Amino acid sequence: MDTVIEASAAVLGDFVSADAILPARHSFLPPAEMAANVLGDLGEQTNARVRSHAILVVGTAFGYGTGRESPARALRAAGVKAIVGKAFARMFFRNCLNNGILALECPELAEAGVRDGDTVTIRVNEARISHGGRDYACQPVAPSVLAIVAAGGLIPYGKALLAGGAP
Amino acid sequence: MTRPRTFVEKALARASGGRAEPGGIVEATPDFSYSHDYAAFAIDAFEQMGAPKVARPDRVAVCLDHGVPANTARDANNHKRVRDFAQAQRLAQFLDAGRGIAHQVMMEEGWILPGALCVANDSHACSGGAVGALALATGETEMGFLWATGRLWFKVPATLRIDLDGEFGPGVYAKDLMLHLVHQLGVLGALYQFIEFHGPAAARMSVSERFTLCNMSAEVGAKGAVFQADERAREFVAPRARYPWEPLLADPGADYARRLSVDLGEVPPMVALPGMEDRGVPVREASGQHIDQVFIGSCTNARADDLAIAARILQGRQVHPGVRLLVVPASRSVALQSTRNGDLATLLEAGATLLPSGCAVCAGGHQGVLADGERCLSTSNRNMPGRMGNKNAEILLCSPATAAASAVAGCVADPRDYLR
Repeated sequence: MDTVIEASAAVLGDFVSADAILPARHSFLPPAEMAANVLGDLGEQTNARVRSHAILVVGTAFGYGTGRESPARALRAAGVKAIVGKAFARMFFRNCLNNGILALECPELAEAGVRDGDTVTIRVNEARISHGGRDYACQPVAPSVLAIVAAGGLIPYGKALLAGGAP
Repeated sequence: MTRPRTFVEKALARASGGRAEPGGIVEATPDFSYSHDYAAFAIDAFEQMGAPKVARPDRVAVCLDHGVPANTARDANNHKRVRDFAQAQRLAQFLDAGRGIAHQVMMEEGWILPGALCVANDSHACSGGAVGALALATGETEMGFLWATGRLWFKVPATLRIDLDGEFGPGVYAKDLMLHLVHQLGVLGALYQFIEFHGPAAARMSVSERFTLCNMSAEVGAKGAVFQADERAREFVAPRARYPWEPLLADPGADYARRLSVDLGEVPPMVALPGMEDRGVPVREASGQHIDQVFIGSCTNARADDLAIAARILQGRQVHPGVRLLVVPASRSVALQSTRNGDLATLLEAGATLLPSGCAVCAGGHQGVLADGERCLSTSNRNMPGRMGNKNAEILLCSPATAAASAVAGCVADPRDYLR
């Protein structure tokens, strides 16, 4: 994982459930088809926005509900690298990190009026985010957990671990 | 003398062989893990990590429950893959399609035990707190990692203590209490926290009622929930326990992040309105609302006592012609018990449609999908848009009593008007 993630952002609202991110019936699709369906329940435009921006700035409880991992896998397949929000449900938070997507809690940025296409810069190791000339502190992720994201997710992390290397 | 500890601190300390301080991260060895259809993804992860053998296969089980019996060749192929893996890896138990919902079946089979750390790749794994287990949900990749390495990381949560006192009024059940609590707390109201249920009314509850409450702790964002492993829990697990167990109880005087107390006598029959689980209102305020389908099923409320409550209301009555009633016993054992005591016959005579034991429509639309604009009144745990496989349909949540009364009325109805 890069220590700095800089990308354009797509903005989404409060209480978008994991079932809305990817309905259960799409769980077993190959990655490209999951990407084609991600957030499709909220309309084709939302799907297109998410696919064209690598950072999502979301409201509260984005991804709450089902613990299925396919919503996180679908976001990864759509090219999402980081999600910045107010508060995440536990299962979605874990599923994002395990799929190499950085999930960061930063309520101030979520309420800072970020618009679609705005550039957002995340300095991972410092747990700071900048947007529109302002700088925000986010909730730091534990170094041991960050190592899983840095490896690209839990599968490459586990592979390195089993091979005897330091992941 | 160490300070008094909450249940989750003690259980994570035991499972990690060290200290567990709230906010800290521990690496723990679960006593038992289980999976369902989505084991297919855990197998992907396990194989991609290059793991040769499952660590401690004698403490791993799988129960197919999501898409059962298979509707499509894709589902059937996934089931076959999981079945073959369970055999090749000599997993402790493989329970095939039709046996029931994994959370229910693992409890019946004596895998979920007091004081044990039990994990499953499903958000309703938290149900296991009903017998005093530390029952936690993981992701599917994490399940593969656990199979490969035998361990997982967990954050040690702070604890919300809920004290229950008083007695339910007529027509009021554990589900109404939980819908009341979810309404009070909100869908993220106990985010990253663990819930302990205490108090005289908690001690009086059956394992099934405790199951309903722990199950829906997921709906307030909690990491899990637990009832103290008392005599009632021990009586339930003793004849079925699959491995040695040692209960853990919260220490008196432990430090709680938050406390709530509820007098059960103050709780009315509740219904959660469509869209979000915390939209609970007293049934009286929703009486007469339109419904097209009633679902009595899911890991939340489809045990023998739930079917008995529904049968008492439907005895000698007929399901309204404008409503379809689907009944899905939580497990084959439940179906058998309700067959022997006559409750299933009562439900069928009233016009219910019986489906195979499994998650059914609750897990995303396996059987009983709704048409655009239709509404389902359900004893399950989630009602966000699209949950039952159609984003243009609506879901309301309630107890088995309210579900049965409403099936007769043809609209949302107060069960107290149908008791006898």
